[in-house]
Amino acid sequence: MPALEVHEVDKRFGAVHAVRRASLAFERGRIHAVVGENGAGKSTLLRIAAGLLAPDRGETRIEGVRLAPHTPAEAIACGVAMVQQHFALVDVLTALENVVLGREPRGRWGAIDLAGARAKASLVAKELGAVIAWDARVSSLGIGDRQRVEIARALYRDARVVILDEPTAVLTPGEASALYATLRRLADAGRAVVVVTHKLDEVRDFADVATVMRRGAIVETRDVKRTDADVHALANAIMGKESAKESGFDSGAPIARAIRDPRETREPVLVLRDVHVGRAVRGVSFEVRAGEVVGVAGVEGNGQRELVRAIAGLMPIDRGSITPSPDAVAVVHEDRHHEGLVLDAPVRDNVLLGELRWFARFGLLNRRAMNREAKARSVRAQGPSDVTIVARTLSGGNQQKLVVGRAIARVEPPMQTGPARARALVVAHPTRGVDLAASRVIHHEILAAASTGAAVLVVSADLNELRALSDRILVLARGQVSAALEADASDEEIGRAMLAGHEAAPDEAHA
Amino acid sequence: MTTRTHAGLIASLAGLAAAWIAFDLLVWGYGESPRALLSMLFAGTWGTPYGAAQVLYKATPLLCTGVAVDLALRAGLFNIGAEGQLAVAGLAVGAVGASLPARMPAPLAIPLLVAVAMIAGAAWAAPPALLRARLGVHEVISTIMMNRVGEAFVAFALASGLAVKGTVRTADLPACARVPRLEAMVGAFRGSAASFAVLIAVACAFAIPWAFARTRVLREVALVGMNPLACAAERMPVARRLMQAMLLSGAIAGLSSTATVLGYKGHFESGLGAGAGFGGIAVAMLGRGSAVGLIASALLFGTLEQGGLAINAHVPMEAMQILEGVIIVAVALADSRVRESLARAIPRVKATRAKAGGA
Repeated sequence: MPALEVHEVDKRFGAVHAVRRASLAFERGRIHAVVGENGAGKSTLLRIAAGLLAPDRGETRIEGVRLAPHTPAEAIACGVAMVQQHFALVDVLTALENVVLGREPRGRWGAIDLAGARAKASLVAKELGAVIAWDARVSSLGIGDRQRVEIARALYRDARVVILDEPTAVLTPGEASALYATLRRLADAGRAVVVVTHKLDEVRDFADVATVMRRGAIVETRDVKRTDADVHALANAIMGKESAKESGFDSGAPIARAIRDPRETREPVLVLRDVHVGRAVRGVSFEVRAGEVVGVAGVEGNGQRELVRAIAGLMPIDRGSITPSPDAVAVVHEDRHHEGLVLDAPVRDNVLLGELRWFARFGLLNRRAMNREAKARSVRAQGPSDVTIVARTLSGGNQQKLVVGRAIARVEPPMQTGPARARALVVAHPTRGVDLAASRVIHHEILAAASTGAAVLVVSADLNELRALSDRILVLARGQVSAALEADASDEEIGRAMLAGHEAAPDEAHA
Repeated sequence: MTTRTHAGLIASLAGLAAAWIAFDLLVWGYGESPRALLSMLFAGTWGTPYGAAQVLYKATPLLCTGVAVDLALRAGLFNIGAEGQLAVAGLAVGAVGASLPARMPAPLAIPLLVAVAMIAGAAWAAPPALLRARLGVHEVISTIMMNRVGEAFVAFALASGLAVKGTVRTADLPACARVPRLEAMVGAFRGSAASFAVLIAVACAFAIPWAFARTRVLREVALVGMNPLACAAERMPVARRLMQAMLLSGAIAGLSSTATVLGYKGHFESGLGAGAGFGGIAVAMLGRGSAVGLIASALLFGTLEQGGLAINAHVPMEAMQILEGVIIVAVALADSRVRESLARAIPRVKATRAKAGGA
């Protein structure tokens, strides 16, 4: 009998049919991957399975018993726990406090029995095979550690089914394999583990069963064989046959680098000299030349965010210099919902965000010109052609295309109306949480921008992506450039550079 | 955006339904017949030309403040300071108007005083605008403070020489500075205080939504209102746009005084027009960003105010204020814009919401 089962589940959000009569069973002892493009309905289905969302029709069965959990608390009581993409931890509490939150063991007089909690929590940690700094505040922990705290919380609550929504989206390759090792232990201990992911190489390497979803429906469920041919078959199922062939996907191989020839002889455009930003960036110097793509690798939280924000002029630098000025740099920030898009405004206003002055005469907007320009740019970035729809209604992939397309439009030769051309492009996590087809479009656009002479800096946690795009890779560790490598550097080489300085002072690793 | 408008419509209807129920309960509590009082209320307002004109008079300042509050809300700002802004604007119009030469031509005097009203209203909105744009001080707190300061400032100014000796009013404005009454054109409105100031208010109600769609500054104000972070990341002048929105909001709130000082009294006196600033919040909540909506809700509240007088013999006119309160609370609860704005004022609320929503 499966540990968890959804039966004939159907869910609509307004006009969007998110899940179509989906039935799926998750078995004990197995790692079950659920894959599909953005908007395929994976997260919705699993949120229903976890009791976080009520289906319009259909039911959830836990160990054969029909259950209708309507609140997360009920679902937890049934033994299902979900680790969301955006962690639900209280930053100001310690790891231990977070783990016991809502289930605090009570001692005498109703006081919280922290010693008892600690005892149980360390059993959990043992099962996880992880060391957790129980007394550290969550705000001081890195992404990987926070994730372990989330998983520990699920186990602390005796979850028999653990569902993880894109757990590796924010992890480095090393952290990702550690995570899967942990998940394997959970499965071996008799739990059902469910992982939503975009990364097919992870499925190939770590999953036992894979379910493919497309447009809200389940396409197929199959046992995973650890071969590339199998991954190709999955890619086909995800995208429908034609588009998979066209995408040329083979588990992270470089995409068409040939569309551009590196011009290393060109002049430096983006130049950083001894840049300091608080304690996050400590003396970073590098140059990016016209037509060159430089990748920035590193464990999340090693100064990448601050570096990008400093180049964008959103954070003051304490020392050093950055040229050119922020006005001549087009930037894609890592958090597109907060720093990239005005979600409730039309696509048009988002495409032209910050450029309205070029469409105004005596303060009055030329709306026809705005529509024309926005549509041209959106179509060019393979985004929606109706620019009057609200950005919130777009899929994650289309939102990302919109943001990247906007930045790229700024480094290309100006259209009829438009600002001065930006000479440098900085892109943070260009394809995070984006499906294969959209990723390909975005990568293509970035390389095309470089080929027109822009200096491009790409920050990513995905080494395959960095290799595919970059001429050189800089590794950022604890706010400093720990290595400048060729694009074909090995995983080991890059991994070693990522850890530079961390071993020396582990207690400060996340400071 | 259509879903937003839908939600807005539902919120407005919820407010009206709540008010209807409250009215029935209140009247019933006084031992009167709701139906009889409702027809009495109607007879005293829309039942006669005079009553209708009085509704227009009451609605005019409410429409100005309603447009003002709505404009600020679109920028993500909650301007609770219309009350102070219109008081100071009234004082300024009264003082400047009284000092105008009697033989000044009206086409010169009236636009001048309209400008004075706007400048004074904007000036009173300037401290909260600056505090918000430069230091991030929440405008809900600072505008409430400015209301109290404004009240005291008006009393102080009247007491220290602006008022006619022994009174709390300014001297009479010369005839050239008065906005003509509607009765001058429609005889049936005789005796009503309704004036052509209503046209100024209606023009504002149409001009502002138009400007949000067509002018660069207000379009950017709306974008900043929806997501200041993204606008800042694309190097839009966020602080300046917030400031401009607050100043414009104050200026339009100040226009209320064209109805009270210029159209009705012909002078400014302590307390003239008071209440329209808070009433404007209700109008904006119910009107939901469209010219027609704002006008309709200003008329509704104007009707309630005038109707309160009509049924005063049976139910105290304060009953109408209870109804206004019920509408404001009901609509505000249903209005996400207000919830967001308050969440920013009270970080703890936001933290709790983020926790609940971020899961």
